[in-house]
Amino acid sequence: MTEAGQPLLELKDITRRFGAIEALRGVSFSVRRGEVVALLGDNGAGKSTLVKIIAGGLEPSSGRMIFDGVERTFASPAAAKAAGIETVYQDLSLCTNVDVVANFFMGRELTKNVLGIRVLDEKAMEDICAKAIAAAGTRIPSLHVNVEHLSGGQRQAIELNRFVHFGGKLVLLDEPFAALGVEQTRRGLDMIKRVAAQGIGVIVITHVMAQAFQVADRIVVIRQGVVAGDIAGDKTTPEEVIRMITGDAQMGRQASA
Amino acid sequence: MTAITPTTLSATSLSPRTRAVTEFVLDNLVWFILATVLTVFSLTIPQFFQIGIFSNIIEQSAVLGVMSIGLSLLIIAGHLDLSVESVAALSAMVVAMLFANSGAGLKYVLTPEWLVFPVSLAIALAVGAVIGATNAFFVVRLKMNAFIVTLASFIWVRGLVQKLPDGRSAQGLPDALRFLAIERYNVLYIPLIAWIAILCFVVFAFILKRTPFGRHLTLIGGNKIASFRAGIATDRIITVSFILAGAIAGLAGWLLAIRTSGATANLGTGMLFQAFAAVVIGGVSLQGGVGRLSGVFAGVLLLSSIHTAINLMSLPASYTQIILGLLVLAAVLLDTLKLSIRQRLT
Repeated sequence: MTEAGQPLLELKDITRRFGAIEALRGVSFSVRRGEVVALLGDNGAGKSTLVKIIAGGLEPSSGRMIFDGVERTFASPAAAKAAGIETVYQDLSLCTNVDVVANFFMGRELTKNVLGIRVLDEKAMEDICAKAIAAAGTRIPSLHVNVEHLSGGQRQAIELNRFVHFGGKLVLLDEPFAALGVEQTRRGLDMIKRVAAQGIGVIVITHVMAQAFQVADRIVVIRQGVVAGDIAGDKTTPEEVIRMITGDAQMGRQASA
Repeated sequence: MTAITPTTLSATSLSPRTRAVTEFVLDNLVWFILATVLTVFSLTIPQFFQIGIFSNIIEQSAVLGVMSIGLSLLIIAGHLDLSVESVAALSAMVVAMLFANSGAGLKYVLTPEWLVFPVSLAIALAVGAVIGATNAFFVVRLKMNAFIVTLASFIWVRGLVQKLPDGRSAQGLPDALRFLAIERYNVLYIPLIAWIAILCFVVFAFILKRTPFGRHLTLIGGNKIASFRAGIATDRIITVSFILAGAIAGLAGWLLAIRTSGATANLGTGMLFQAFAAVVIGGVSLQGGVGRLSGVFAGVLLLSSIHTAINLMSLPASYTQIILGLLVLAAVLLDTLKLSIRQRLT
């Protein structure tokens, strides 16, 4: 058990090198329970590398990551997931060849025991999936339709509902609203707030400034592999954040400080 | 932007009933084709409509059917195993060399005699599993392309089949094995080796559809990265699939040896392409993630029905080859057609 004041996730001086390229040059920031942090940065700033390090699958070259009071790195997405980190990726992580239910429970299928054999419990999975999707107000014609026949928005809804349902301790969203329309984006942002209200930490990677300001408690800007700004959402302006992203940040920060 | 108005999707002119029926027909299309083909053959070819002919078709499908199961599993997982034919031949040869009583056979006799049944089966499965494991090692560990790795196995394993008996054959398996292929022991007119094939289809169809392993296999074939991110042990599942495909090919070889009462150096050559044809005709997508074993079974039956018809009409065997090729093309065309119909359904 950890103290309430302690951050849920703390990154200390994380670096990552790919050969001669330094994608991350010492990133430090933290996320508290129930806090929504928007991670911003230009293309190639190192956001995706950072996501992979937190979500598992890529280990940092140096630096420390403290999650839930324990220092650790995650060798695979499965390890991160087991520790309580849910990730919604930029390119949709769905299997279009199977139905909605199978996608919803991908990797954590419910089973029942039939004569000593572990068999998929389709009924139970369908019930839970139906409830979760209905609760989120998403309309999907049938849970047994293969995902390849669903629209981009419906697909994203499955992913978002999945993380809302399974929760965990920290949710990482990488450009989650890329395929969504206005109404569904609004609903997605609501979902994020609702998840955070349950005490789950949220990191949203986005490059839509308006979304960041709408949902984030804190805004962290990554530029050329380092944190170029880390500031409460209500203490900054989109203009200032843009200056941080493009590199006039130092000036901007000093001026406002 | 239809993306934000999901309700438009559910609006369709088809009634749920029509849709359900169409779905069912599409899902089992190969079976309908098989029924049509058998009806046409029965009406047009003299002597086709007999129990003997039908039981022969099923008997002929046994070995190919079993081999196609392993191949299907790997293709559904998004991989490929070209080595199944050679692996089956190797298992058959090892069993024949150990237990056959003439040629290269070493005439091992176990006491009691029936022990040869489980022992030879275990050997055949083990031989297949070992080759499957080496395939898995190269593909999963060394990240080599499955096509190349299993093509290499296809070649070197066949070389082994020829080298082991020094080009000779091994004939004459004991009755404790042969009874599976002898007409006297048919159950419901169907030979026991065909029952074994049917049992395999049922078991593996169940595994594919109802167990977490089968579900994960399908998910990996559909989107490997998504499965990995979802925490599925993709490497482990693919490794197990290769070993399974090898062991199933070993079983096919065991049945083949029993059926022909031995093994020759060129046993089973050409079966790989027939197995591929059956798998594709059965509706398994070579892109992975899509396919049902019931369809594959129908594909195998369709192939041997056509073989039998051609034999009965005493047409040259080369016709089989041509028809087989056309059939594969037709199957792929049909698949595209099915997809566009399905898209209109949902």
